[in-house]
Amino acid sequence: MSRLVLYMSMSLDGFIAGPGDNKDNPLGTKGHRLHEWLGDGGEDVSGFRPSDEPSRTVFDELMSTGAVITGRRTGDFVDYWGGDHHDGVPIFVPTHQAPTGTPLGDVRFVTDGIESCVEQAKAAAGDRDVMLHGAYTAQECLRARVLDVLEIQLVPVLFGQGRRLFDGLGPDHIELEPVRTLESPSALHLRYEVQYA
Amino acid sequence: MSPPIRLYMSMSLDGFIAGPDDREGQELGRDGGRLFNWLDDRMSDGPSGQVFRELMATGGVISGRRTFELAGRWQGDHHDGVPIFVLTHHIDDGDVPPGSARFVTDVEACAAQARAAAGDRAVMVHGAGAAQSLLRAGLLDELEIHLVQVLLGQGRRLFDNLGTQHTELELVRRLEARGVTHLRYRLAR
Repeated sequence: MSRLVLYMSMSLDGFIAGPGDNKDNPLGTKGHRLHEWLGDGGEDVSGFRPSDEPSRTVFDELMSTGAVITGRRTGDFVDYWGGDHHDGVPIFVPTHQAPTGTPLGDVRFVTDGIESCVEQAKAAAGDRDVMLHGAYTAQECLRARVLDVLEIQLVPVLFGQGRRLFDGLGPDHIELEPVRTLESPSALHLRYEVQYA
Repeated sequence: MSPPIRLYMSMSLDGFIAGPDDREGQELGRDGGRLFNWLDDRMSDGPSGQVFRELMATGGVISGRRTFELAGRWQGDHHDGVPIFVLTHHIDDGDVPPGSARFVTDVEACAAQARAAAGDRAVMVHGAGAAQSLLRAGLLDELEIHLVQVLLGQGRRLFDNLGTQHTELELVRRLEARGVTHLRYRLAR
């Protein structure tokens, strides 16, 4: 069964981008530090693919998901990866209002709510998982109780300032079940199943 | 190399060390007790027992004022009568803390005194405020984070009010235990 899996690189102090992130500087000031685990170059797949085994495992899983959900903000920043994040799988974007014009590649704007967006993405992914990317959409999915798995790349750095991954959640606790921890020199890969009360 | 000044804090994956509205009578904030379930295993032979024993073997304590007061000033003794250095902005006339506790208003002096008092043992730091002050001053050597597998959603954050400077860390130990992962980081210098 397809699951919705959040993939995000986060500093130990909880940031997923440096301060002042915008379209010209999508990762914010010095935000690229969080993505160093990806790329010492390596073999192929758009120049990324980490060389160390644990990071590569996570990266390969990410790249074998059957659909992508990204927030409008994240998507706009990166021009929806030119319409193809990987292997031409569909990219679903929950938004209040779809932009005019023809979307790039297989980008699909979904305006009838996050639940519907997740349903459509899972249907498109078939028996593969759905990759979720973006802090705001992750928060929305947690509040709507539709996020199944967190895959956090915990990066050994304190950012001090920037954009937080977990923000604006309600006061209810959300229990997590650790299902895998992979340690690489550049990041601790923490995988949790989300257990809603 | 002198023994480290090491922060000990339980933190949820989303960065909280207490629930919302932490105050006297509700010291851990609303439902903040969730972060301390791992202490049920503090006497065990397992990793949580090991970490707790290490904490109790430290030779001095640095605490923030807020934490110190919420803890009832530990009745003057956090463990084994080791000196407690309480970072504070203001000392009221005639307010003498109990037991082995003393107030210090300067962060550098606080770290130096705690180091000297602890001798060949590590110094334990507790409290988000003290942690932030020491971090900003570059005086913290290690972090021992008890990472608890829960999203608290709201509450008091451990890492807040820090500057824009990145602090690089090195993960030097990871202990998996029931309900918690003990992560020890060394701060890069």
